[in-house]
Amino acid sequence: MTAMLAAVQISKSFVGVPALSNVDVEVRPSEVVGLIGENGAGKSTLMRVLAGTHRPDSGSLTLDAKPLRLRNARDAAVHGIGMVFQEQSLLLNLSVAENVYFGQEAQFARFGIVNWRRMNLAARRQLEKIGVDIDVTTRTSELTFAARQMVELAKALTLEESTQRQLVILLDEPTSMLGQADIETLFARVRALKARASFVFVSHRLEEVLKISDRVYVMKDGRVVAEHAADAVTAPRLHEIMVGRGLQSEYYKEMKQEPPGAEVLLETSNLGVARIFRNVDLKLHAGEVVGIAGVVGSGREEVTRCVGGFLPQTNGMLSVAGVPTRIVSPGQAVKAGIGYVPRERRIEGLVMFLSIAINITLANLDCVMSHGVIDYRRERNLAVDWIRRLRIKAPSPDIACRNLSGGNQQKVVLARWMNAGSRILVLDHPTRGLDVGAKEEVYELVRELSAQGKGILLISDTLEETIGLAHTVLVMRDGEITARFDASRGRKPDQVELLRHMV
Amino acid sequence: MKMLDAFRSLLSAGSTGWLRNVAPPAVLLVLIAVIGIASPGFLRADTLLVILSDTAVLFVLAAGATFAILIGGIDLSIQSVASLASVILAQLLPRLGLWAFVVAILAGVASGFASGLVHVRLRVPSFVATLATGGVVAGLGLLASNGRAITIEETSRLDTTWMNQSLDGVPVVVIIAIAAGVASFLALRYTRFGRRCMAVGAGEPAAWAVGINVDRTKILAFTVSGALAALAGVILACRLSSGSPNLANQTLLPAIAAVIVGGTAITGGLGGVERTAVGALIISIVRIGMTFVGVDIFAEQMVFGAVLIGAVSVTIDRSKIAIIK
Repeated sequence: MTAMLAAVQISKSFVGVPALSNVDVEVRPSEVVGLIGENGAGKSTLMRVLAGTHRPDSGSLTLDAKPLRLRNARDAAVHGIGMVFQEQSLLLNLSVAENVYFGQEAQFARFGIVNWRRMNLAARRQLEKIGVDIDVTTRTSELTFAARQMVELAKALTLEESTQRQLVILLDEPTSMLGQADIETLFARVRALKARASFVFVSHRLEEVLKISDRVYVMKDGRVVAEHAADAVTAPRLHEIMVGRGLQSEYYKEMKQEPPGAEVLLETSNLGVARIFRNVDLKLHAGEVVGIAGVVGSGREEVTRCVGGFLPQTNGMLSVAGVPTRIVSPGQAVKAGIGYVPRERRIEGLVMFLSIAINITLANLDCVMSHGVIDYRRERNLAVDWIRRLRIKAPSPDIACRNLSGGNQQKVVLARWMNAGSRILVLDHPTRGLDVGAKEEVYELVRELSAQGKGILLISDTLEETIGLAHTVLVMRDGEITARFDASRGRKPDQVELLRHMV
Repeated sequence: MKMLDAFRSLLSAGSTGWLRNVAPPAVLLVLIAVIGIASPGFLRADTLLVILSDTAVLFVLAAGATFAILIGGIDLSIQSVASLASVILAQLLPRLGLWAFVVAILAGVASGFASGLVHVRLRVPSFVATLATGGVVAGLGLLASNGRAITIEETSRLDTTWMNQSLDGVPVVVIIAIAAGVASFLALRYTRFGRRCMAVGAGEPAAWAVGINVDRTKILAFTVSGALAALAGVILACRLSSGSPNLANQTLLPAIAAVIVGGTAITGGLGGVERTAVGALIISIVRIGMTFVGVDIFAEQMVFGAVLIGAVSVTIDRSKIAIIK
């Protein structure tokens, strides 16, 4: 079959970091194309290029073998390409009908006044097409997440009215927040619509991708590394291609991984936050790294937020060094000796406009106070010392953190908690956005922290990293722990084994 | 537009924007030089002392506002607080003597605290919170004075004359303003509270995440703002020998302008009281310069408004806030 929409040798960089390199993909008529890859592999960037919201640095798009230039989403819409966004793009304060025809109200307007009755009728027709029965005058905020996803789909399908062509609908992780029943409904709609439209489907859940797709592309590090017919490949095989290599123990400094001590730093029993996760039992020993694996929505993120004090617990017990502790704010977590290294480094991690020195002492200013005032010389010396110890690349401790690279910013965050004497560290995607060299340095630091007897609770972007760094891996799904694996040196579990408990 | 953008990028390149540090003092020096050349008498010590005395009230008011702005908020209640303090002073001097000063300033502390509490506990944006408390405070001033100006009588003036005297040739009001300025500077630079103010203003989520009590820091900043506003009101009342519910009207705009012109970022986290001192002097000298070149006194506020718009538009850091509301 011939291609309808094709991307030819597409490359795209963001401030010098390549996100896509020479990517070729094609979408054929009435086809569902699966697109998989780890976080940062370039899936979302590729989708945005196809949707016209990102312009490629080089390469081109073709539609029915003719060159296609997209300047924005509206251009894409004219050519029958629509996107259903991962982070839903609906305006919650508007009605369902207003959302479905957002930006296209003109067709219902006369003399600048919108005929709401006509718009509502048209919106109802759109929803009927995908078999959804929702009152179109409802405020969108009153709908469930799954229903909103359907409204998004209906919105994308309004393209039908503006063009005669086959449509291409881009679905960027539409299932990540949906329950099983809703996913089935969505898939049934996608199948029913295949006569009129092709789909590109991005998801983390490989089984799901295989189930709905005709063909699957695998992306890694900004490139397409494989293309398979969906019935000729298995999920474990896809995962292997996606990760790209077997576990490299050297990369994660596995030889430096020592057995943890006996002291329990953090213990939870039946820990829960209503409607998000429940019955989480975990023990974190001195010198131990406990990794939590799970897909988006598994609740693992929230477990770390809870331990860090950002999300107050509603059930169960949490104790720090044997003392039952209630943590309802980051301040209390810090007092209890818990340091949180957030994924949003630039927002929650550092005060970007203040200097390295100030950021390092922010959590315990006491260490540089003398006679009740801040001793600037001592603060500076302390910062110089941390810069040396953690090999932070910075010309001076006085420069603002915004001028540092991502890896060095992460080191400043770690320096702060080390300086504050935190014994428990929560690492929330500690290597996100870092290049390979910076990642290795963070791994090295994790080993050093373990050797100093710190307990580390870790969630990360890849299973490989979680397994490589952790002594113990907990697997979560739908808000509960589904499996525990010993991941100490020489006994690293297989990724496929973990995956079985994740999806 | 292109030139304006280029100018902006020079001024607003965050902490590396050295022009942000250099421009205000440079403008001040140029202004002094221009007026000094136009009118040689201007640079005499006694003229300069008069200018400093005239700047004292504006500076104390602006120094308080600096705290509110540094934490990323704003205090629009300061002129009402200053007026209320003047009324309280004038009303209570005959009965309480020097204690009237204490009561007047405590009133400022209370209203600043109330603003902070409304802002933080009820999650009301600070400009709305202080606009509203400013209204309440203005009403209290009107009630306490029956809506009239209250002259500080001859008998009570014994308690206010010290404010209008000089110490070794330096006016007492100038000494008070400098003391308030130095104390504010030290508090911001050398205390936990000051450090927390900067952190909250420059990156509130990060400040919260490292365990800083953001709410308490904000309330304290508004309390300081209220206290200094009341101090400004008290100084003004002594200088004019009168307290009035609209004594400090028309001072909000120049005070905020002084903070911003001095180089403190309207978005918070960057700046300080030392910059506000420079800003206040610039505003003062512009004011004198205007009378000098014959600008109608009634047009003053127009100029200050324009100066504020100009200063914010060229210095605001758009990398920090994408959407301007």
